Amino acid sequence: MRSTATQRTLAALSQVALWTWVLLAMVPLVWMVTTSIKPEGYAQTIPPTWQFQPTLQHYVDVLQGAAVTPFGPLLLHSVIVAVGSTALALVLGLFAAYALARLRFRGKRFLALWILSTIMFPPVVAVIPVFILAGRLQLIDRYLTLIVPYAAFNLPLVIWVLRSSIRQIPEEIEDAALVDGASRMEIISRIVLPLAAPGIATAGILSMLLAWNEFLFALTLTRSQVKTAPVGISEFTGMFGTQWGSLSAAATIIVAPVVIMALLLRRHLIEGLTLGAVK
Amino acid sequence: MKPTREQSNGLGWALVTPAVGVLLLMTIFPALYLLWASFRRFNLMTPDNAPFIGLENYRNIATNGDIRYSMLVTILFVVAAVGIELALGLLLALMLAPKSRSNAAAATLLILPMAVTPVVSALVWRELFNPNYGWVNYYLRQIGIMHEPIAWLSNPQTSWFTVISLDVWQWTPFVALILMAGLQGIPPEPREAAAVDGAEGWRLFWDVTFPLLRPFVAIAVLLRTLEAFKTFGTIRVLTGGGPGISTEIINLTIYRTALQDFSVGAAASLGIAFLVFLSILVPQMLRILARNSDLVEA
Amino acid sequence: MKNTQIGDVTQTESKGVTRRHLMMSAVAMGLSLPVLSKSSVSAAPRTALLRQDAEKPASLNMLYATVEADVEAIKLAIPDFKAETGIDIVLDSQPYDALQQKVFAELAVDSPYYDVIIVDTPWTPALTGKLEPLSGYVTNEALNDVSDPALDDFIEKVFFDTAVYNPTASHLQFPDPTGIDVEAITGEGFEIYGLPLQANALVAMYRTDLFENADDMAAFESEHGRALAFPETWDEFTDVAKFFTRPDQNLYGTTLMPGNGDWATDDFKTLLAAWGGNGYMVSDDFTLAFNSPEGVDALTYYASLINEHKVTPPGVTSFSWDDASAAFTSGLTAIGMNYHTEVLAPDVQGNITYALVPEKETRGPHFGTWMLSVNKASQNKEWAYRAANWFTSGPTQTKMLAAQLHPSRKSVYEAAKTDENATKFGNFYDILGQSLALGVGRPRLTNYGAVDKEIWVAVNSAATGSMTPEEALQSAADKVKGLLQEAGYPVS
Repeated sequence: MRSTATQRTLAALSQVALWTWVLLAMVPLVWMVTTSIKPEGYAQTIPPTWQFQPTLQHYVDVLQGAAVTPFGPLLLHSVIVAVGSTALALVLGLFAAYALARLRFRGKRFLALWILSTIMFPPVVAVIPVFILAGRLQLIDRYLTLIVPYAAFNLPLVIWVLRSSIRQIPEEIEDAALVDGASRMEIISRIVLPLAAPGIATAGILSMLLAWNEFLFALTLTRSQVKTAPVGISEFTGMFGTQWGSLSAAATIIVAPVVIMALLLRRHLIEGLTLGAVK
Repeated sequence: MKPTREQSNGLGWALVTPAVGVLLLMTIFPALYLLWASFRRFNLMTPDNAPFIGLENYRNIATNGDIRYSMLVTILFVVAAVGIELALGLLLALMLAPKSRSNAAAATLLILPMAVTPVVSALVWRELFNPNYGWVNYYLRQIGIMHEPIAWLSNPQTSWFTVISLDVWQWTPFVALILMAGLQGIPPEPREAAAVDGAEGWRLFWDVTFPLLRPFVAIAVLLRTLEAFKTFGTIRVLTGGGPGISTEIINLTIYRTALQDFSVGAAASLGIAFLVFLSILVPQMLRILARNSDLVEA
Repeated sequence: MKNTQIGDVTQTESKGVTRRHLMMSAVAMGLSLPVLSKSSVSAAPRTALLRQDAEKPASLNMLYATVEADVEAIKLAIPDFKAETGIDIVLDSQPYDALQQKVFAELAVDSPYYDVIIVDTPWTPALTGKLEPLSGYVTNEALNDVSDPALDDFIEKVFFDTAVYNPTASHLQFPDPTGIDVEAITGEGFEIYGLPLQANALVAMYRTDLFENADDMAAFESEHGRALAFPETWDEFTDVAKFFTRPDQNLYGTTLMPGNGDWATDDFKTLLAAWGGNGYMVSDDFTLAFNSPEGVDALTYYASLINEHKVTPPGVTSFSWDDASAAFTSGLTAIGMNYHTEVLAPDVQGNITYALVPEKETRGPHFGTWMLSVNKASQNKEWAYRAANWFTSGPTQTKMLAAQLHPSRKSVYEAAKTDENATKFGNFYDILGQSLALGVGRPRLTNYGAVDKEIWVAVNSAATGSMTPEEALQSAADKVKGLLQEAGYPVS
């Protein structure tokens, strides 16, 4: 048996190691935020500048559009697309997850596997035909053209999380309702929905995260009406020198909402990541 | 499964059809289109001129050394990144498992890298690793670990280090949190019983704890691997595939061919080849990983 | 006991229903394929006749670049356009890569969304079928009511390199680029596809304060027996760059741009031309000119600056325009080479003077100009033309000097001599004008992007030392030959 002294030292060392990693991992975020409040020209100095007069000018520039395009509308587009695709994925996913969790039907096993396997489809490959089709049908730069693909990207994970979540609900409750003559739809909406709420929250967060940060499809399928924030941020880089102040301010603006959301709902995130593994 | 439950084919399929429909639209449909295009010389600027050329596109990519290299490099990247994330994630999970306020706080902070927009994180990385103003070079030299400034993005080995370190920074927490939850969920009885029998330290972990952790490891590895194969934006921003073509993963090549050169036929053949590769790999992975866990059950 | 062997299950579970479902979906998809392959269901074809009285739209959609083509200049001028014509310009700007993708994507699907599109020279050979030919517009007085195209005011070399292409053989350069005459152009079978706006050429720049430092001047003179001055030739360049390479003071001789990207090709072709080679890299008859002895010599010299003489900052082998600019403006180098004006960082006390890129046998700095073109599928072509015309006109370009526009007209360079917006950058516009007159553009290939890539990989490999210049260029040559064949060009 290891002595308690050794155990305590080990525990202490592991705490040190852990926090070293955590603090180092925060460095890039620190860089981002400090650069966003440094006056113009101080982003790239040797040695790095730590004494400076903080300014919020970059944030003003970004939101008002003095930089390139006004960022405010882009954030709104991102919100619409994220919420829309999440809602779609959750609705479609809930029905599918319920069927996979509770019902028996032919081909179910294969279907479940196939749904999971669609995660592997590289967006770079999928974007080409989607773009061509959307172009021909004049569907470029519409919300739906992003909402549907994003929902598709999220469905496998959503279905998986929701299925596990539904399985955690004791079947007796539903059986009792069935005996009482409730239809499946009523069961789903009255019983399953409230009880699976934590799982739905988790699936929702993961879905929002992906939709909020997606770049390739947004770049290819939008012009200006629906352009999302990640596309907007790429406009700060260019031939004649990257505007680091504006770029890091925009980056902070993009990252802040999801960070806050992730922090507030961290328990759900963590639960959701593991629900699939536990019986 | 209750013996009283009948087959509900109609309802079952009705409920899954909308979801399946959307998925088909974004997977099978593009795959079919690409399959069609891959047998043609098809440039998007001249869509009426798309002659059937049989397997020529495939022959081109098979004989193209650069593309073979790109495929190899993609696989190596995934293996290296996921491997490192698994090892580090396990270590972190072990450190995070004991419940305490401090550990809860650490876990919370670790979520942050996962939330950062990948394109943004790649830009930040480029600045941090800038050989002249970057914090990495500057502070490593201050500490004394580094003497000559390393030009990170100028040679293949250090470029790869930069690419992999970005992926590790962003996604190790993903693995760590999954494994942490796994560790926290393990009942203490098996370990206590084994400890009483005299097992300790490494053997205790390997023989008792790890097997119970396997389902979690399986999920983490599966999901991370699939996501790693889809990496695109970060590497594009960070190295552009360079120096030379040393970090040109296959997604970059497909993107360039399809959406910059607009040679859809050639890109399609690459895409199909990649898909075939993944379709062979994924079930194999599932089989190995699912051996002792119920990843997908009826 | 549940069945956990996933692999086996797929064989035993009944697949009847699922297979049928898949097949039905496949059939549905298959039926939709023809829709995608043909060109779009076309809108009612416009008559060939220009409608002088075409209805004035309330707004026009313009697709533009960002800093590369100086979008600030456009933004500056938009209110004036509205004041003169009452038309709003709805501007969508994208950085280079995204812009190229967007331009190609929009034009490929014949989308009428953007009326005016900015086009960069390397893209044009592939796009001539999608851009409205303007020879009928520039000669139509009724359409030139808003501004005068004044074609003879354009810098000839720039105009022909940027806007004049043969619709049936887009690889051809106009045979006789002296004097801009629409009839002569169409007589040779060429067409005008846009109006040039932002003209970029590689110019050199140096820190005047460093070059005029008394102590340094004395030291250099005694060391080399000649006065310290910005080098006229590449031979002199090595000495000067070495002189200013002082790593312990965080100072290096010069920037270069051998990073992975178009900029590396442009650096290389500048030197290739200077060494007496063909700066176009691929001749009109598709023989390769970049792996010539001149090319090898030029690339060897370029790589030697980095590896042998070490006059460049660390990390230079991944430098792009951005990085080179940042290096110079932060005071890291004494000399820089780029395509635009620079402003030194606040903590760098110094001044900038611009100069022509040095010569070897001759000079042939890379140049490339953007042009405003009219989307062939636009529903407002006549007014889109008027807009393109107005934004590229003399008076407008002069106004745009306030945003450091790189003009394409001779009259504007004249105006720049006394315009304070221009003079505050010293001799930049003078040097730019001179460089444009000497400049060498790109070869006109529909797949220039792919060819470009092979060449920049070669330049980058030579710069990092992973291949010898000769090997690198030869390897690129083999690949480029294949690319030209793939594109359908008759390669020997």
